[in-house]
Amino acid sequence: MAQADSTRVQTVIGDPVAEGGPVTRAKLEEIFADIQSDLRYDHELNGCLNCGICTATCPAAHYYDFSPREIVQLLWTENLEGIHDAMQEKIWACAQCYTCAARCPFGNSPGGLIMLMRETAIKHQMESAKNVLRPFSRVMLKLISTGNQLSPDMINKDHFADWGPNISKVDAPLKLLRRAIPMPTLNTTATAWEVNLKTSVELYTIWEMTGVLKQLEGIDENLFDVITDIMDEKREDWKDFVAEQQDA
Amino acid sequence: MSEKFTGHGAEWRDANLSATEAKIATSWVELKVDKRSMLTQKDRVEDVRDAMWQLEKEGEIVVHRVSDEHQPVMVKTLYGWDKKIPTQRLWHHKSCGQCGNIPGYPASLLWLMNRMDIEYLDETDQTSCTAWNYHGSGIGNLESLAAVFLRNFHQAYVAAKAQGLPEAYYYPLVHCGTSFGNYKEVRGYLIRSAKLRESVKKILGKLGRLVDGKLLIPEEVVHYSEWLHVMRERIAGMREIDCSQVRATIHPACHVYKMVPEDAIYDDSIMGGNRLAVSTGLMQSLGAQVIDYSTWYDCCGFGFRHIISEREFTRSFAIDRKIRVAVEEARADVMIGHDTGCITTLDKNQWISKAGAKPVELAVLADCQFAALVCGAHPYKIVQSHWHASPTETLMEKLGIDWEAKKAEFVAYLEQIKEGKQENLYDPRRMITSGPGYIPLKAVQ
Repeated sequence: MAQADSTRVQTVIGDPVAEGGPVTRAKLEEIFADIQSDLRYDHELNGCLNCGICTATCPAAHYYDFSPREIVQLLWTENLEGIHDAMQEKIWACAQCYTCAARCPFGNSPGGLIMLMRETAIKHQMESAKNVLRPFSRVMLKLISTGNQLSPDMINKDHFADWGPNISKVDAPLKLLRRAIPMPTLNTTATAWEVNLKTSVELYTIWEMTGVLKQLEGIDENLFDVITDIMDEKREDWKDFVAEQQDA
Repeated sequence: MSEKFTGHGAEWRDANLSATEAKIATSWVELKVDKRSMLTQKDRVEDVRDAMWQLEKEGEIVVHRVSDEHQPVMVKTLYGWDKKIPTQRLWHHKSCGQCGNIPGYPASLLWLMNRMDIEYLDETDQTSCTAWNYHGSGIGNLESLAAVFLRNFHQAYVAAKAQGLPEAYYYPLVHCGTSFGNYKEVRGYLIRSAKLRESVKKILGKLGRLVDGKLLIPEEVVHYSEWLHVMRERIAGMREIDCSQVRATIHPACHVYKMVPEDAIYDDSIMGGNRLAVSTGLMQSLGAQVIDYSTWYDCCGFGFRHIISEREFTRSFAIDRKIRVAVEEARADVMIGHDTGCITTLDKNQWISKAGAKPVELAVLADCQFAALVCGAHPYKIVQSHWHASPTETLMEKLGIDWEAKKAEFVAYLEQIKEGKQENLYDPRRMITSGPGYIPLKAVQ
């Protein structure tokens, strides 16, 4: 076996570091500078005595080759190669529970630092981020285009076979079951609740002005195209509504 | 007799120490270990609310106050600080995971509010906090999270105008634990960082969502479980079903008490102040036995991205670190939670345990669902227990509820809905406050 000691993710999606050639010092510095430049960095990293409380209570450390202590040490000692290496796989193991942050005697937030590294991995369009996020694209499409993360029609046996036969214990069409929820905002199937058209349009402005659409374009161009089409349509609908109001 | 730590169920016996003996036994711990006793005076941890009032004084922001009209109740947080929980005139900030997947969760909450004549608004002008996606994917950033937070909370501030009522009438009540943790974290950064305020002010200005040209910051970020907590005795007064034989384990949600931990509610009379007070306090008030278990501190395994695309982690963690422990160690009848992702994870990931040698099963409900159930809410029309994959039927049997009869009633109700005879918790015309479909107040009346 060629890669007897490789991890499952490396086996499935490849190892971008091994296959991608050496990363220049300038690039490593640029990546680290991006992580460090976030205003949260100094709040999330205050020092580290290697006590390992974070790793001892970390759920991801039970199942993955991942240690929040290691992440903090890499950043604290400014180990640029190690940071880059961790961004290829390890940062995606974190479950974002923030148990580490609640326990750290230094007030560090390893989970928070992981988020800065994930954002940076996306900014630099790392292949690892693209691969890891591909199965998450359904969720991103829903959230960015509607403002809802999850919708009733996403929960079905095809997507969640391991949840068993009881997606609903009453056998009836989804639409009817949703109408049987006594909150009128929830009588929907394609969004978790009915979202006001103006709300969606305002959200699109936020995505644009905060660079989120640019992030998305860098990581998944096809998804970006689909989402911008939806946004254009809804903006047109809003314009039409405003024009109608003015005419009236 | 004052309540003491009773996390071992009905068989637990008090050591009956005198007050002096108890003080001797615990004083060393209190002096040396108890962080709260060291931090109460705010000498080591900053309370961002102090900086928030200062910013308002300097004319930098406007604070959305929890006013007397919101009938607040004061509680103590981790370090003994005060937190003001509004109990009236609430704006429901819904959770996408709850509404999409566990609709009985918000429905039970609103049902309880109806029973107590609580005025509220459930409207369509809101987005999710977007933090589930952010924590899962890294798509998003501090600026986008802050702008979404401020936009949604501004809407809560102005929403009543659509009904001809003044601004600040409603106070936002956050349903999702992740939204709650995320919003508090973001509020902290907004208060600490002039740079962040400057950048999001441009966005909020463009959206027309500034108040007197300033950012609007809420005095308190309040989770629905905190509302339940301060209302627990009133809720217990409505109880119709005896639940004293129910052994309940509590799963405290990470983003409720590990993110911005200084804001989480603790109460010395609930598990000796050694556990988060919300949910536990409610269950005890309702009369259930709250059973402690060794992995109470663990997360559920949700992982944000993991539940979608790393499910072997999620289900292994949920089964082995939570459900199995609750069943085998605590001999629980139910696991009670107070957050979207936890309920989903713990409820849905049990069936797959059948693939292993030792399958486990345990009913999983949100605190408000359990409360509604024992207060007489319909298990299907209101609690919507059919969306739960876990064996809620076993729990209902223990509570003496004929779930088969109730399910039959619900199936018959579905036929009624087909004829357009749907029962709602509020007038549907109130849910749209602007844009297409908006009906002005006078027309509603």
